[in-house]
Amino acid sequence: MAFIKKSNVARDPADNERAAPRDLAGLVRELDDPNPVARRWAARDLAGHTQASAALLSRLQQEDEISVREVILTALMRIADPAAIAGLVICLRSEDANLRNEAIEAMKSLPVEVAPIMRTLLVDRDPDVRIFAINILESLRHPDVEAWLIEVIDQEPLVNVCGTAVDLLSEVGSSASHDALERLKARFAAEPYIQFAAALALKRIAPVPDGPQ
Amino acid sequence: MTAATISQDDFLKFQEYFYRKTGIRFEDNKRYFVDKRLLERMDQTGSASFREYFSRLRFEADGNEVQALVNLMTVNETYFFREDYQFDCLVKSILPEIVARKKDTNPIRIWALPSSSGEEAYTIAMCLIERWPGIESHDVEIISSDIDTNILAQARVGLYSDRSTMHVPEAYLRKYFKRTAGGFQIDDTLRGAVEFTRVNLQDPSDVKPYRNFDIIFCRNLLIYFDDISRKQAAETFYDALRPGGFILLGHSESMSRISSLFRIRKFEDAIVYQRPGVGT
Repeated sequence: MAFIKKSNVARDPADNERAAPRDLAGLVRELDDPNPVARRWAARDLAGHTQASAALLSRLQQEDEISVREVILTALMRIADPAAIAGLVICLRSEDANLRNEAIEAMKSLPVEVAPIMRTLLVDRDPDVRIFAINILESLRHPDVEAWLIEVIDQEPLVNVCGTAVDLLSEVGSSASHDALERLKARFAAEPYIQFAAALALKRIAPVPDGPQ
Repeated sequence: MTAATISQDDFLKFQEYFYRKTGIRFEDNKRYFVDKRLLERMDQTGSASFREYFSRLRFEADGNEVQALVNLMTVNETYFFREDYQFDCLVKSILPEIVARKKDTNPIRIWALPSSSGEEAYTIAMCLIERWPGIESHDVEIISSDIDTNILAQARVGLYSDRSTMHVPEAYLRKYFKRTAGGFQIDDTLRGAVEFTRVNLQDPSDVKPYRNFDIIFCRNLLIYFDDISRKQAAETFYDALRPGGFILLGHSESMSRISSLFRIRKFEDAIVYQRPGVGT
């Protein structure tokens, strides 16, 4: 036995999973193929089609195979057009916890695309969606994250949502959050958790005192 | 040298373009590295301004300038027996498991990328010959890929510096290398053991033929990618592996932070990731 070289890197280049036409219509049809490998390849190839968001989102709602779901989400993140973002927002409202978490994770990676709708999400009529929006802010690389959180703790009526926001502010806040945190403490004076969390955040954002010269 | 300069807007424009092409994003702290190489290419192509060069880069039909720039921008530093414990894991744990469940006589297939100048792929070949008795009874294919065509040419030649070979055991150095005026020349046994290919991991057409691998080495590449490109790379590896196949990443990289497609396997010498499937 030995080392062997082949001119073609694919040992079995029977590309049956990619046998269907690779145009938009063919790929969308293939998203419903019984073979998960074919569905996965269809989703991968659809990442190059900007009009594919609706079909990908529709498939995501019914797809059971985790490897296909992952590829669909990555394709949506690549496309990241308003239709894809709107579809991910719909997923936030799903009863399926996996789907909600996948949407949150996907939106965390799309700061530029998510930023224009963030204020709307943070005042959504559904408090769960408002909390999920704060979850998205956890690792959203955007300069307005702190400003959005300040708006939440100033305006949000529900203590649970404020609690989630103040937890995050204790990680990402700066002195700019100081006054809003004091106002939050005053607004929820009878809520021990808010008192505790806001005090912790204030302690963390306080400037480090100068040491002895 | 050209007197042209790269403005912040130019840099941002290039950053976005290069990212879309390769999945590699250069942050602001890489300005010096990027500017230096852009100016070098502008000078060599006779471009009077960034605008002129960028236009050439984007619209040139044969894509040669894009490849030249990719070759300059990618980092190619590696050495033999880097993160040696993973090669121990390969021969002591991974290969025996693959052989134990193997039901056909097809070769065991290993994909190593980025190949850089070939040190990792040749190290794998040496380890299989020297440390894995199974090489007597199994065929093995080693394919090593990189986006940089210059470095691939260098890998095929197989001529290495003292620094690159400093961790090669003395006995292996004597057996597989010949000291020449230009450095250590690797022998034909090893050169014949590895097939080097050009691949852009972010291009679905490029990666499409890479299938049915038992093991993938992809060490210290994903750290250069952003989150979405990392996920895309993980999905490419998933499709490139046979069910039950293994992937080895660099010591600072974790597949668990990138994708949930793979399961973690803790072996005696290393933690690796495995595509679920047959026998797992």
